[in-house]
Amino acid sequence: MSSFSPADLGNLDDNSKKEIATFLEAENSKQKVQLSIHQFTNTCFKQCVPSINNADLSSQEEQCLTNCVNRFLDTNIRIVKGLQSIQ
Amino acid sequence: MALSSIFGGATPSQQQTVNSTAANSVTDKVKSQIAQELAVANATELVNKVTDNCFEKCLTSPYSNNNEPCVDQCLAKYMRSWNVVSRAYIARIQQASTSGEI
Repeated sequence: MSSFSPADLGNLDDNSKKEIATFLEAENSKQKVQLSIHQFTNTCFKQCVPSINNADLSSQEEQCLTNCVNRFLDTNIRIVKGLQSIQ
Repeated sequence: MALSSIFGGATPSQQQTVNSTAANSVTDKVKSQIAQELAVANATELVNKVTDNCFEKCLTSPYSNNNEPCVDQCLAKYMRSWNVVSRAYIARIQQASTSGEI
């Protein structure tokens, strides 16, 4: 595991700071997507996989998971639009 | 997005950048520490969520046995589900970005 001292951070030149800022922004949006996937998997697994009989997903389970994600996002968009219209 | 990415597996392009530039510069150390911490956070999130789900599906009160085969199968199913959900979500994001919604 790499390590660096706080003093090193203060000595960074503008280009390095910019590079780190860009990196952080990219990692940040990647992390948001990852967290959403964790949340959707949690919600949809509960609904779409009723019992554990083997290690594979059936085609119905797979279809249900895909539908679940899409309906969740439809609902999210609908809610945002609904709230916007109240404003 | 591959599941391996949450355990910090770098994509080939990322590995190249690290190799081709000065690998020991402070910038690279900062980046690698950030990536490392995110990978740990993601792995923790996954462990917690799989445990929650598989405990619920495989064990019942009064919890007198482990039901390990069910837990193993449940873990495999959860990982497969993670990949299905990831594919569906990313397809949706791409669809929205090509149609100019986001």
